[in-house]
Amino acid sequence: MRALRLILTGWRFHVKSLTLSAFFLLTSAIQPILFATMAYFMFRAGSTEQSLLYVALGSGLMGIWSSTLFGSGGAISWQRWQGTLEVSIAAPAPFVLVLIPITLATATIGLYSLTATLLWGKLFFGVPFDLEHPLLFLLSIPATIVGLGMLGLVLAASFVLYRNANAMSNLLEFPVWLVTGLLVPLSLFPGWVEPISWVLAPTWGVRAIRDAALGGGDPVGAILMSLGLAVVYLGIGTVLIGYFERLARERATLSLT
Amino acid sequence: MAVIEASELRRTYRTTTGTIRRRRVEVEAVRGISFEVAEGELFGLLGPNGAGKTTTIKMLITLLVPTSGSARVLGHDVVREAGEVRRRVGYVFGGERGVYERLSALDNLRYFAELYGVPGREQKTRIAELLDLVGLTGREKERVEGYSRGMRQRLHIARGLLHDPPVLFLDEPTIGLDPVGARELRAMIATLAESGKTILLTTHYMFEADSLCDRIAVIAKGKIVAEGTPQQLKGGVAEGWVVEIEVYGIEDVVLDRLRAVPGVRAVAVEERDQAQLVVVQTDSGQELTHALLSRMDGAAVGRVSSREPTLEDAYVALVGES
Amino acid sequence: MTHVRVFFIGGYIAYRALFNWMHPSYYIPTMLGAPLFQILFFAYIGRYTGLKDDAFFVVGNAVQLSAMAGVYGMAMTIGGERWTQTLSPLLATPANRLALFLGRSLPLIANGMVTSVFAFGVGWWLLDFELAAESIPPLAAIVLVSAVACTAFGLLVGAIGLRARDVFFLANLAVFSLLLMCGVNIPLDAFPGWMEAISRALPLTHGIEAAREVAAGAGFADVDHLFWTELGIGVFYGAFAYALFRFFEADGRKRATLETM
Repeated sequence: MRALRLILTGWRFHVKSLTLSAFFLLTSAIQPILFATMAYFMFRAGSTEQSLLYVALGSGLMGIWSSTLFGSGGAISWQRWQGTLEVSIAAPAPFVLVLIPITLATATIGLYSLTATLLWGKLFFGVPFDLEHPLLFLLSIPATIVGLGMLGLVLAASFVLYRNANAMSNLLEFPVWLVTGLLVPLSLFPGWVEPISWVLAPTWGVRAIRDAALGGGDPVGAILMSLGLAVVYLGIGTVLIGYFERLARERATLSLT
Repeated sequence: MAVIEASELRRTYRTTTGTIRRRRVEVEAVRGISFEVAEGELFGLLGPNGAGKTTTIKMLITLLVPTSGSARVLGHDVVREAGEVRRRVGYVFGGERGVYERLSALDNLRYFAELYGVPGREQKTRIAELLDLVGLTGREKERVEGYSRGMRQRLHIARGLLHDPPVLFLDEPTIGLDPVGARELRAMIATLAESGKTILLTTHYMFEADSLCDRIAVIAKGKIVAEGTPQQLKGGVAEGWVVEIEVYGIEDVVLDRLRAVPGVRAVAVEERDQAQLVVVQTDSGQELTHALLSRMDGAAVGRVSSREPTLEDAYVALVGES
Repeated sequence: MTHVRVFFIGGYIAYRALFNWMHPSYYIPTMLGAPLFQILFFAYIGRYTGLKDDAFFVVGNAVQLSAMAGVYGMAMTIGGERWTQTLSPLLATPANRLALFLGRSLPLIANGMVTSVFAFGVGWWLLDFELAAESIPPLAAIVLVSAVACTAFGLLVGAIGLRARDVFFLANLAVFSLLLMCGVNIPLDAFPGWMEAISRALPLTHGIEAAREVAAGAGFADVDHLFWTELGIGVFYGAFAYALFRFFEADGRKRATLETM
């Protein structure tokens, strides 16, 4: 109960903090809009028939992934830089409960990307916004955010151990867009790609959101997969964070000085 | 029972230097420190930058694991019972960092109240009390990025007190504050000490330690070189005498010659505008002045004076000897 | 705010700029890994949509990637200087501005060439892309001139960065705009006329067009007009950037804005 309350308070706090950063907001809206525009043109000029809403939702999820990747991947370095890492670790709350709200918030901020690409698509490309299953669509969004947020927890912990979080973030933006089927169906890839996609939250997030919006598929199953993966990520993330904390206390890497 | 007990604390850092041929370097930041702080005491760790003060504090508040030795806070081991220790101590460090800039003081305090496990129904009154205590009432809804250094520092104090900890660790809290802000903060620390909190304060300001602390440990190069009340520390050099010689350029050989004069305890050099001031602490009295001057041939000597020692001299002597 | 900005911008400097880029833990993921997946990403969208064949995307992205480093590098050089507060001391020197900043562009262009070679290699290795040996010298010349033109464009971004609040954001916007507009992944005829007109005025567009023809077997003589147009566009942006730079420098001295954050 306490933990839940802490996560909720922390999440609100960090969403507010990120929202007040003009820089973060501009980046999380403009980059996805540019990529969405590219995707609209490519799909429109191509010969394959595909609904533009498919493209808009896929581009929006690309934005959610970018925001999680850069936000969560750099979360610990950012806290260290701000001087809040030490204060947070010195608090009695388990550090993983401090970090979860942060990574969830970075995924949540990705909703600005989704909203931006949908609005942009509607205004300039006439993308219709008709939902097959409005209720499932509403459920699929928080499920996707939770899945990506928990994946962010794993990223936060593993990137800080690699020590060059920015390089890892740079590396992982395109491949995850690619192998989670955000714009291109997985059937185009060699067979070994599919198992990789199963363990990545965006795969299920985009399926849940898209199937709920466009119909077909199994949105409920995808929502459950997203939430199930979130639990697995939480387990892995907790172990990694514990390891990081121990290591940091031994090696004195909590502060900048 | 002592509230804080440190026993033979040691901490080494491993760093690597060089980009092409990387070498491992071990730096001993703290080299066997032991002390005890009693309940309700305001204990000062006084030392120059890099003496090991911050490292010591970080070991006591569980942010660093000691390389060897042990420490207990309120009877809880800082390594094995980190959670217990964290629940009972408050930590405040000097400087502008450590708060979320884009949000208000109120947001920051609510957030950290949750991290420190302050029960929901107590949060509101507790935060209001603290804002009042640190004098931020009325400004609490403004974003921290618009705060002055002094206001940020007071916000830090409020954050450190959220869970009403019996033990407070203040790491150079007045650093970078203007004189008025620093004085206000010292008054606040004195108030907290009067309210019965056990406080460990680090500082490199002599007068700060002198005016606030019940007891002081002088720390230099990772070791405690003296410990006692401010009066006792002053007493250590009270019988001596200080000779100050103004010179225009002086070489180390000459300083060594001065140190060799019988009756000389310590020699230190302070940079002045265009000259240096050689401060010599002696055992007996003025008769050494002549002996000192006679060993300074080659140096251009200006004004020479002598006086009684101060706490600052005691400190300089202690740190200089180590 | 300053702190947050330093963090994000500090992060951003490292994000795509060339700071610490010589360290393998940074260089390999950022300068080789990310480009690899960028090419695959667009080529696969191409395959799925049936828009164009692999060669279209390999050439487009390989040329764009070599040019991107120039835009980022140049903009970040000036923005970074301002950030580390070294811009004023630098401007206080009597050094020739043009030489000063062009000198800095050389390693960026060299780095861009390396990325480009790698990108073509990826296309040959993982995608359906072939290149005849005799096409390599003209292709190298085209990649080089595109990189030079984009570096000049980067200088313009940097010059605007002398006055704008956020050169890092600007540089990002510039790079993504080039990616969108210059025919890297979208054939220009898919654009409405006004967009195509803008594309024709940007660097990179003609370079990519020339590179595609050469890769498809054309000789240098067949594309020399594109080559010279690309160079001309580069010279135009360079000159414009230089004039703007001098203007802002003089004006900045008057209004003391060079060190503002």
